[in-house]
Amino acid sequence: MLDFEVFSQQLITGLSNGMIIALIAIGYTMVYGIIELINFAHGDVFMLGAFLALTLLGALGMEAWGPSGQVFGVALMLIGSAVFCGGLNWSLDRLAYRALRKSSKLSLLVSAIGCSFVCMNLGLFWGGAPMKVFANGNSAAAPKDFPAIIPQINLLGDGFLRITPGDLLVFAVTIPLMVGLTFMVKRTRLGRAMRAVAQDPIAASLMGIPVDRVIGATFFIGGALGGFASVIYSLYNNTIGFQMGTRAGLDAFTAAVLGGIGSLPGAVLGGLTIGCVRSMSDQYLETRWTNTIVFCILVLILIFRPNGLLGSTRREKV
Amino acid sequence: MRWRPGPIFIILALAALLPLLDVVLPPKMQLCEAVRGVFLYAILALGLNVVTGYAGLLNLGIAAFMAIGAYAFGILTCEIYPFQLGFWPALALTIPIGAFAGFILGAPTLGLRGDYLAIVTLGFGEIVQDVLKNLDVVTKGTQGINPLPAPTFGGSEWTAEDEYKWYYLFFALLVVTVFAVRNLERSRLGRAWFSIREDEIASRSMGIRVERTKLIAFATAAAIAAFAGGLSASVLSSTGEPSNYDFQISILALCIVIVGGIGSIAGVLVGALVMVGLNSIVLVKATAWMAANGIGSQGNVLLSPNNWKFLIFGLALILAVRLKPNGLIPPRIERAKQ
Amino acid sequence: MKNSAVIISIFGACSVLFAAAQDSKVVAPANAGTLKIISSLPRTGSANAQTNTMVNGIKLAIDEVGGQIDGWKIAYEDMDDASPQRGNWDPAVEAQNANAAVKDSDCIAYIGTFNSGAAKVAIPILNRAGLAMVSPANTYPGLTKPGFGEANEPLVYRPSGKINYFRVVPTDDLQGVEAANWAKTLKAGKVFILHDRELYGKGIADVFRKQAEKLGIEVVGFEGIDSKAANYRSLATKVKATSPDLVYFGGTTQSNAGQVAKDLRSGGYEGMFMVPDGCFEQAFIEAAGAANLNGKTYITFGGLPAEEMTGKGADFRAAYKLKFGADPEAYASYGYEAARVVLQAIAQAKTKDRAGILAAISATKDFDGVLGKWSFDANGDTSSRVMSGQTVQDGKFVFVKVLGN
Repeated sequence: MLDFEVFSQQLITGLSNGMIIALIAIGYTMVYGIIELINFAHGDVFMLGAFLALTLLGALGMEAWGPSGQVFGVALMLIGSAVFCGGLNWSLDRLAYRALRKSSKLSLLVSAIGCSFVCMNLGLFWGGAPMKVFANGNSAAAPKDFPAIIPQINLLGDGFLRITPGDLLVFAVTIPLMVGLTFMVKRTRLGRAMRAVAQDPIAASLMGIPVDRVIGATFFIGGALGGFASVIYSLYNNTIGFQMGTRAGLDAFTAAVLGGIGSLPGAVLGGLTIGCVRSMSDQYLETRWTNTIVFCILVLILIFRPNGLLGSTRREKV
Repeated sequence: MRWRPGPIFIILALAALLPLLDVVLPPKMQLCEAVRGVFLYAILALGLNVVTGYAGLLNLGIAAFMAIGAYAFGILTCEIYPFQLGFWPALALTIPIGAFAGFILGAPTLGLRGDYLAIVTLGFGEIVQDVLKNLDVVTKGTQGINPLPAPTFGGSEWTAEDEYKWYYLFFALLVVTVFAVRNLERSRLGRAWFSIREDEIASRSMGIRVERTKLIAFATAAAIAAFAGGLSASVLSSTGEPSNYDFQISILALCIVIVGGIGSIAGVLVGALVMVGLNSIVLVKATAWMAANGIGSQGNVLLSPNNWKFLIFGLALILAVRLKPNGLIPPRIERAKQ
Repeated sequence: MKNSAVIISIFGACSVLFAAAQDSKVVAPANAGTLKIISSLPRTGSANAQTNTMVNGIKLAIDEVGGQIDGWKIAYEDMDDASPQRGNWDPAVEAQNANAAVKDSDCIAYIGTFNSGAAKVAIPILNRAGLAMVSPANTYPGLTKPGFGEANEPLVYRPSGKINYFRVVPTDDLQGVEAANWAKTLKAGKVFILHDRELYGKGIADVFRKQAEKLGIEVVGFEGIDSKAANYRSLATKVKATSPDLVYFGGTTQSNAGQVAKDLRSGGYEGMFMVPDGCFEQAFIEAAGAANLNGKTYITFGGLPAEEMTGKGADFRAAYKLKFGADPEAYASYGYEAARVVLQAIAQAKTKDRAGILAAISATKDFDGVLGKWSFDANGDTSSRVMSGQTVQDGKFVFVKVLGN
């Protein structure tokens, strides 16, 4: 194989991983943009979405469906997990965050950390469910195999360079979602209301915008994107576990900050940057230093661009 | 003016008397040993409180400084390294080493606002763990450094069985930390921190050198955390492994500060008692009791008490901030506002 | 500064009180007739899966003697050495468990730990109290063997000068060597070695590398992975680009062995894959997906797998299956063996004296166990050298051969 092939392969892997990170990062950045909360529970909501997808897959016996049936199955999982995660994220806001709107940002943060632990524990219970796909609950804490109903075959034949249906799926799902989301935020009534609340919640409420409902909607949309991401993640990586939300969340939040928190294109750029830096570091340096390199790059970028790559330079709210 | 005992005094006095309970409790309760853990996290959280509570800079990587302290203590004392200092000089050295590490991280990044700084500290926490793991020539990687010395007061070196000695050593060092932090809080520097927290622009126009003041807060917190790290390594006689100082520890320290009452020393002490106490006393004793009485079963995921620990811890966090959004014991300034 | 004066005097008063109080409570009256075994294994977080099987093994061993030996009631306490804030083993909790065991006058043996790092904390505490410790899972050689760890090991773990720590599992230095030898017989000319940067995984990978180089196998790469990463696609590309015949992964199911196997396959690597006993459990196959392992995966294990055992081992397998509805996995055998060693020592010593039990355990000789017939050597290690090699077929482990010999 040629060096060029290795490089291209790493680029493909980096972009695919980056897209998944970006999709999760959008959930963080939307919530942060509107109430300045690092929603720690987001990663764990994402994890529960993956468990729901695996449950649907197992309960409906999708493995036995034919190829066209499986396309339908993927769509079903995407919608199911998106609605579930959106609803869950909305409920977390309703039950655990809304009452703290007027308290300090840090109390809200602790509440989010608490939700993260609760969701993680729910994932542990879920992993012990008496189903074949969960290995009959013998080892609730163990990682679970997510059947590869999107096969990991090489679409380019027998060469060194591989593009799998999984890679295509990642792009086919995330790009339309991102375009749609941008349109929603820029053009629709809800999008305008979200931006108004992010600018100034008091002024927004004086203008007749139902602030709590708009925030709730933001949580729902952010969660739903996490739900989509969870299905893509599961189909791409084929393993899920109750602790996977922590790392996915850390990566995604880092991506959101790197791109400029509050900015949708920033989250995408941040995610792609992290994905590519990871795979290049794995290839050309040592894997064990990859995390260190990602964070060093983060620090360097923030020193020179304190508001992230695409962050607005607006003044911090006082 | 007549002196009235403040909450800090009451808490410390109760802590000093706590071992009396051990006389009546069965020996297996190990209350003192568990409370010693509370003291350790209280010291760590007091450090975090300086940077996050006083100066208002969210730090999500305080555990990294604890790791630096623990490993510095290990390298300075362990017999496989050339330094081989004793307990006291090594523990004292963790303070400047921690402060220096805080300075290194703080100097280039303090210009960042709010949560950008938070993510950089979080990243620093990850970097420190990776470096400790990967530089195994120096740090022994995941092996941990052991054995580490204990203090020698009057004769032989302490062992794990000298639990009351350890208890009062931790207690005394906690008291020292409390007084040091309290004096800082009431000093010119402390007032400058509060001022920056409340309004950075106004502070700057009042002549406070904001960057320098922030940097001192950062370094102070790092120094206290490193001190806690050295202490914990000593009592365990091992640095453990780098992942013993991961993000979860930083999160626990943050929860202690916020649940207790951000910016309040008494609050941090109570917060440490509630959070660490819940984890290492209540949950541990409850699961042991349930196992001893045949309640629950390990086979079924829902019936095994161990599997409920994350859930209980999480619910406790949610309830604590819901019921007491300003903390269990808010600082005087918040109390005055109400 | 009035406060501090008051505190200091309270502090002083308490110290005096305690010096007095301590004397009176050293000898707590024992509940005559109960001997307690305490296990300290991680129960919060992902390692609970293995702990369950180890504890099952321990419970089975105790049940088999009817919960009593010569009129002594055998009590068992299952302690957790992990904490919720860590989600993994916690050194402070491990120390607390060890101290609890020391203080519990009924306790005569301590079964643990799972992580060698935790053992480093617990062994010296138990050693000072002369309490026997038998580990079903620690494989870091430095805990018992001079010359394999740091210069001061293993003497640092024996402050009393006596040996109190034993293990029924073969150490990394044995298993790593056998794995490399096996790789050689599988005609692997080029190997790529991965490890999880943990004490166990890195240790065994280091040994594997050394032996591979000695045997003239070309080591084309040696990489520590991030065991929490979502996938290893880019690493798989790197591996594939060096075209090795075999990839060795030093790690466990917890440190993402399943994902590594999966991503090597989905990254297009088609050669052999070898892992140590930390992956010898059904959960590994479940995590990796049977299709990714079938045929080309090799697992080494420090003993014989359940279905190959005769005599004692076959009985164990039947009994385990009857009680827990599943075949015993690697750690179940280790846990069962550890408990049986302790129970046999109780039966021989017939005493509540910790020193007596300890002496009986260290005198364990020609023990007819499920891992073979073995004795404890002078370091406290098992003399068993039986290692077996497995592969995976149709989603099940299949015994291939006895390694070495």
